[in-house]
Amino acid sequence: MIKGFGGNQLRIDLTTGELARTPLDERFAREWLGGRSFIAKILYDEVPRDADPLGFENRLVVTPGVMSGNFAPSGSKCCFGAVSPLSNGHGDSTVGGHFGPELKFAGLDLLVFSGIAPKPVYLLIDDAKIELRDAAKYWGLGTMEAEQMLKEDLGEDFEIVAIGPAGENLIAFSCIGHDWGRQAGRCGIGAVMGSKRLKAIAVRGTGKVPIHDLKALRDSTMAIIKRTAKHPNMAPWQKYGTAMFVGWSNQHGVYPTHNFQTTYFEDYAGIDGQPLVDRILVSNKACFGCWMNCGKYSKVSLPGKPTVFVEGPEYETGSLCGGNCGFNTIEQVAYVNWLCDHVGIDTMSGGGFAAFAMECYEKGLITREQLEGHELRWGSIDDFEHFIDMIVHRRGIGEWFARGAKYAAEQIGGGAERLVAQVKGQGMSGYDGRGAPAMLLSYMTADIGAHHNRAWTITMDEDLGKTVIKGKAKVVVYLQHIRPFFDTVSCCRLFWGEVDVTAEEHIDAIKLMTGWSDFTLEEAMRLSDRIWNLNRAHYLERNGGPGRSFDYPNARFYEEAVPSGPGKGARLTMADLDVMLDEYYEARGWGKDGNPSREILADLGLADCAANLQKRGLLGELFAPLPAVRGERYKPKAF
Amino acid sequence: MTIFLKVGGMLKERVKTDVDEWTRSVETEPGRTLRQVIEELGLKTVHVAMAFVGERLISLSYVPHDGDVITLRPPVQGG
Repeated sequence: MIKGFGGNQLRIDLTTGELARTPLDERFAREWLGGRSFIAKILYDEVPRDADPLGFENRLVVTPGVMSGNFAPSGSKCCFGAVSPLSNGHGDSTVGGHFGPELKFAGLDLLVFSGIAPKPVYLLIDDAKIELRDAAKYWGLGTMEAEQMLKEDLGEDFEIVAIGPAGENLIAFSCIGHDWGRQAGRCGIGAVMGSKRLKAIAVRGTGKVPIHDLKALRDSTMAIIKRTAKHPNMAPWQKYGTAMFVGWSNQHGVYPTHNFQTTYFEDYAGIDGQPLVDRILVSNKACFGCWMNCGKYSKVSLPGKPTVFVEGPEYETGSLCGGNCGFNTIEQVAYVNWLCDHVGIDTMSGGGFAAFAMECYEKGLITREQLEGHELRWGSIDDFEHFIDMIVHRRGIGEWFARGAKYAAEQIGGGAERLVAQVKGQGMSGYDGRGAPAMLLSYMTADIGAHHNRAWTITMDEDLGKTVIKGKAKVVVYLQHIRPFFDTVSCCRLFWGEVDVTAEEHIDAIKLMTGWSDFTLEEAMRLSDRIWNLNRAHYLERNGGPGRSFDYPNARFYEEAVPSGPGKGARLTMADLDVMLDEYYEARGWGKDGNPSREILADLGLADCAANLQKRGLLGELFAPLPAVRGERYKPKAF
Repeated sequence: MTIFLKVGGMLKERVKTDVDEWTRSVETEPGRTLRQVIEELGLKTVHVAMAFVGERLISLSYVPHDGDVITLRPPVQGG
């Protein structure tokens, strides 16, 4: 019996309906830990390199990690992964709430879906009773509608994840919804779920996760609870959530405005944390086992629209669906948040791609005729709603956007490709990298495409200088190891990032859960490094090379200066990007072409990756000595 | 006059707490703004995303009073 884990994995062949529940191998668990690491290994080993992400051969992998469901700092997450329809590479996304812990209580650490169901189904897991059931009555429902109906049918104590019509219609940036407004949002994993005709997963678990030393774990967690309850960062966080940073982001010239045309939104005061608290907040909302309780549950009424309830808005939605689209009231942002959640699209890509379309309309690259006679104006709820409907139902140019905005830009032409804020097809997070060069480097090099989840560098950019290009790459590498570690073990990184629960304390908790007395932070960071290189190899094997050719953003970010606001004048050049990439590849032990070297892959125990890359002519040549330690912790400042 | 700054996370290392684990006492002249106080401590405004007196949100233009306990909140690391 593996301590700290549910103990079993489940393979679901959706084509044949076969279900196979088998013990989880402890060596596999120790080597890959769980979460996004399990996903990376399984995708690399099992998905053919020419497999269509929305086709038969892709895998949908669902995995709570070792900390999920255990009495530890916010062990609440569950990670979903597949080859992404946006990037055509490794994709993973994590959701909080209660689903991951419930899987652990049902004795499960890993679900691997293969094939395609002949008709819509949902998977029922009721402890050891596991069935594929007809989902016809739920097909077509929004994510929260489906969740509600399944709870009514099965029982309130079931935890549900579900896709909406966007996932059913294979929209490339579809998400998976849970717990009335949480999402595994990024990478289009909802579309993969829809491609398999899998509407939902419902789980109820009444078992216990075996813990190596429950008393010591409880004592150490209680000490952390008492300490962090008094932390000065805790109360503001609990009151305002992440929306409170909309103002700060504007004041420091990184807030995306009107499709990243500039970085200051004059009406930002109407959409940050204060109006959220004052006007729409109903209550706070917590994930399993979390005392931070930072989620926001809001009620929104707009004239002419139904009254809706929504979780959020968080900062990313408040930026990409806020000033980026020209919405200037918290009610508008919250309504747009709800709309995206309801149909099941990622608010980040949804807002970002809609903003791109708004700029195209503004510039005459998209016409009213193409919008079915409608307009697509900044700050228009009706226009936004109609455009999203076109995408979800793949009407007209909605068909282009359904495949991702990068594809849409190629179809629109007329220079549209310069305007869509993305890397590797994934829409950028809510920070403009022209005001923070290391942030842009983070977007350029993230394994899943542009996403701040892997590395967030804004204050480091400020500290070292917003115009400083050199010397930041090593810190980006460090962040790309430490931050995804929390997605591997499936706990919320905000305890580490915001209230000083150290990475070492997380390692200690894992040791108490598992009994792995020799487990170290160094081992965990090497695993992060290994996964990073595994995902890079996977991406190159699927997309060709050189890797460097995929690591650039759209041209706006190296051709245009920020025109207004506190960030006015900030700009980067292609030469700047190349300097950063060269430093990054050196820090990674890759070639100047952005391809991993034989030496780094051997060092990480990935000789099979090296052989595969060599067969394809995609191995990189080291151009500097292989760093013994990859990444540099940035001391003594943030992180 | 004396005011007290409560800080955590990355701000602790910069502010050098002296009253307790989280708190730094600061002697300052009446009439100075919070912005001026924190800049004199070597902080940049980018390091302070929000500030509170009790639960009341204040701006960096706030003029502290003697005995104020002001919580400084750094920016979240992505949300």
